[in-house]
Amino acid sequence: MPMAITSTTIPMRRAKKRDWSWLAGYALIALPVLIMVALIFYPAVLALIDTLFVPDATTGVTALSLSNYQAFFKDRILVANLLFTFQVTLTAVALLFVIGYPLALYLRFSKSRLASVVQVLTLFPLFVPGVILAFALIQFLGSHGMLDSLLHAFGFTGFRTPYLQPQGVIIALVWESIPFTVLVLTAGLRQVEDAVVESARDVGANSWQIFMRILLPLSLRSAVIVFCLNVIGIFGAFTIPYLLGPAQPMMMGVSMQQTFNNYQDRVGALTQAVITFLFCAVVGLLYVRTVTRGRKERA
Amino acid sequence: MSTLELVGLTKHFSGAKQSAETVAVNDINLSVGDGEFLCILGPSGCGKSTTLRMIGGFEEPTSGDVLIDGASVVDMPPNRRPTAMVFQKYTLWPHMRVYDNIAFGLRLRHQDKAQIDKEVRDSLALVGLTGYDRRYPAQLSGGEQQRVALARALVLQPKMLLLDEPFSNLDALLRVRLREELYAIQRRIKITAIFVTHDQEEALSLADRIAVMNAGQLEQLDKPSQIYAYPRTLFVADFIGVMNIFPVQRQGDLLHIGQYALKAPEGLNGESGLSVAVRPEDFTFSATDGAWQGVIDQTIDLGHYRKVLVIVPGLFGDETAALAHRVKVYMPKSVQARAGDRIALTPSRYLVYSDTAVTRTSSATRTSSATPNAQPIEVRNQAVSGEDDR
Ligand SMILES: Nc1ncnc2c1ncn2[C@@H]1O[C@H](COP(=O)(O)OP(=O)(O)OP(=O)(O)O)[C@@H](O)[C@H]1O
Ligand SMILES: [Mg+2]
Repeated sequence: MPMAITSTTIPMRRAKKRDWSWLAGYALIALPVLIMVALIFYPAVLALIDTLFVPDATTGVTALSLSNYQAFFKDRILVANLLFTFQVTLTAVALLFVIGYPLALYLRFSKSRLASVVQVLTLFPLFVPGVILAFALIQFLGSHGMLDSLLHAFGFTGFRTPYLQPQGVIIALVWESIPFTVLVLTAGLRQVEDAVVESARDVGANSWQIFMRILLPLSLRSAVIVFCLNVIGIFGAFTIPYLLGPAQPMMMGVSMQQTFNNYQDRVGALTQAVITFLFCAVVGLLYVRTVTRGRKERA
Repeated sequence: MSTLELVGLTKHFSGAKQSAETVAVNDINLSVGDGEFLCILGPSGCGKSTTLRMIGGFEEPTSGDVLIDGASVVDMPPNRRPTAMVFQKYTLWPHMRVYDNIAFGLRLRHQDKAQIDKEVRDSLALVGLTGYDRRYPAQLSGGEQQRVALARALVLQPKMLLLDEPFSNLDALLRVRLREELYAIQRRIKITAIFVTHDQEEALSLADRIAVMNAGQLEQLDKPSQIYAYPRTLFVADFIGVMNIFPVQRQGDLLHIGQYALKAPEGLNGESGLSVAVRPEDFTFSATDGAWQGVIDQTIDLGHYRKVLVIVPGLFGDETAALAHRVKVYMPKSVQARAGDRIALTPSRYLVYSDTAVTRTSSATRTSSATPNAQPIEVRNQAVSGEDDR
C-alpha cells in the first residue's frame, strides 16, 4: 500500500529534524559557558567559601563567619584603598565621557577628510600595550622627564610630575580606554539617522539642545555599555596603577597583590578580590540588562 | 505665507576623488508666489532634494541666492529660517511620544504650557490624529507617522512648508489619501508649499505649478496642464505622461519617419536632430483610411479607456525595430480593437523638437548646426501627406 508508506514516512522525517535543531544553539554556546564556569565562577565560589568559613583560633573548627570582611572594613588603610579605587574609577570614567563624546560626535557628523585621520589617532592607544604606555608616560611626564625639561628650557620651574600621583594613574587609564569608548559611542551615534537630527535643527534646536534632547537619549544604550565596561576594567586595573600609582593609597588590584605577596595573607587578598568581584558583578548586571533589553526592543 | 525666489542656485559636491565634482544643482532660477503649491519633479538623482535642502538651510549653495519674502536667507541656519521641512523617512524622534514630538519646537520657544497644549491638540486635529498624543512613533503606521511629522512642521506656523517625498514610503492607496489631505490642509491654511517628488501623478494632482528638473537643471516651470500639453524640451515630453517620440529626417517642408512623412511646421529651423512627439490620445484611427498602416499587437484595458500598442513597420523599415518601438494609442472602449486587427493611424496633433535627445538624460546636448528652435512647434490637424517614395 503505497499510500500508507508516504503518510507515515513524511511526518517521521519532520519530527526527526525538529528534534536535533534546538541542540545546535546550545552546542554553540557550550564551550564558552564551560570556560566561564571553570575560570570565573568556580574560583569565585571557592574564594567566597574560603573567606566565609573561618577556622576558630582556639579550637580550629571552621564555621560560617563574616570576620574576614569585618577585618577588611576595620582596616583604615584597606578602606582608603577601596575609596581611592572608587575615586579613580569614577574620575577616569567621567573624563572618558567628556573626551569620548566630542570625539564620537565629530567622527559621526564631520564630512571633512580630517575625520579619518582623527579616527586612526583615537584608535592608536589600542596598539600600545599598558606596560609600554606606563614607561612612555614616565619618560614624558616623570620628574626630569621630557615635559619637565621642556618647561625648564622656557624658564618654568613649577612643574610637579603626576608620576606616582593619582593624576598619573588617571591619565594612563583614560588614555588606554579612549579607543573603546569612542568606538562604541560612535557606533551608537551612527544609528541616529541624519533626518532625526536635521528635523530637530529645523524646529529650532541649537547644537547643545540637539545633543541633550536627541543624541544623548538616542545613544544612551551605548553610553551605558561604555560606562559599565569601563568601570569594570578600571576598577580591577593592575598594571598601570602598579607602575604609575602612589604607594599609598593604592588601587584594589595593587592592594591585593601586595597583601598576597608581601604579607603572605592569602585569605586577606581573597577577601579583597571578592569585594572587587561583587562590585563589578553589580555593574555587569546593569550591562547585561541594557544589552538584553536592546535586543528585545529591536526584535 | 510668503514668496520664494531662487536666483542662480547652484550646488557642487566634491566627490571621493579630488577631481570628481558632482554638479547636483545647476543655476536654478524660479519664483514661487504667496500660497502657491510648487512641485519639484524629476528622475532620481536630478537634484530635487538638494534644491529643497538649500531652501531649508541643510545644504549650503555653492553659488546663488535663496530669497524668502525678498530677503536673502542663505546665511541663516535651518533653525533661523521661516521654513519647516517634512522628510521622507525617520522623521519622528523615536524616544518621544507624539505629543512631545509636536511640542518640542514650541518648548524651545518657551511658550507657556496651556498654549502648547492647545496648539499641539489643534495641529493633531488638523491632521486627523486626535487622541494619538500618548503614542510612541513605533506604535504608529507609516502614514500616521508622516501625518505627525506634518503636524510637527505646521505647529510652528512656518512661512513655508518644504516636503521631500513625504509619502514615497507608503503604499499606493494611502499615498493618494494623504496627498488629498495635504492638499486640503494647504488650501485651508494657505501656506506656500514646495513639494519634491519623482511621481508625476502626485505632482500633476497637487501642484499649482510644476518645476521639472533633469540632471541638476530646471527644464520647465509651468502649470500642470501646460506641462502636459506643451512640454518645452524633449526630456519633459518623454518624462511627463506617455509620449510617442520619433526621430525624423527633414527634407524641405517634409519630415520623414521611415517611409512616411509629416508636414514640417513653419518657422522650423535646422535640418538634423529633429524629433516628433505624439501623445497617445492625439491619433485618429480607422481600419484602413489613414497615413500609418499597422497591426494591433496588444490591447490593455485601463478602466475607462483602452491603451493599444500598434506595430507600424513602415515607420522603422524593419519588423524588429517596429516591435521594439510600438506606437502607443489611447482609444475609447466603444471602439472595437483586438490584437491582430489591422489599423491605420493619423497623428492629429504633434510637436516638433529641434533637439537630438531622445533619451531621458542627454537633453543638454544639442548638435544642430543651424540655430535650433528653443521651443517645440505645435502642428494641429494638418493634412498629412501619405506614403512618400512611392
Ligand atoms: N552629500 C552629498 N555628497 C555628494 N554628492 C551628493 C550629496 N548629496 C547628493 N549628492 C549627489 O547630488 C545629486 C543630486 O542628488 P539629490 O539627492 O538632490 O537627488 P534627488 O533628485 O533628490 O534624487 P532622489 O529622487 O533619488 O531622492 C546626485 O547625483 C547625488 O549623488
Ligand atoms: Mg531626494
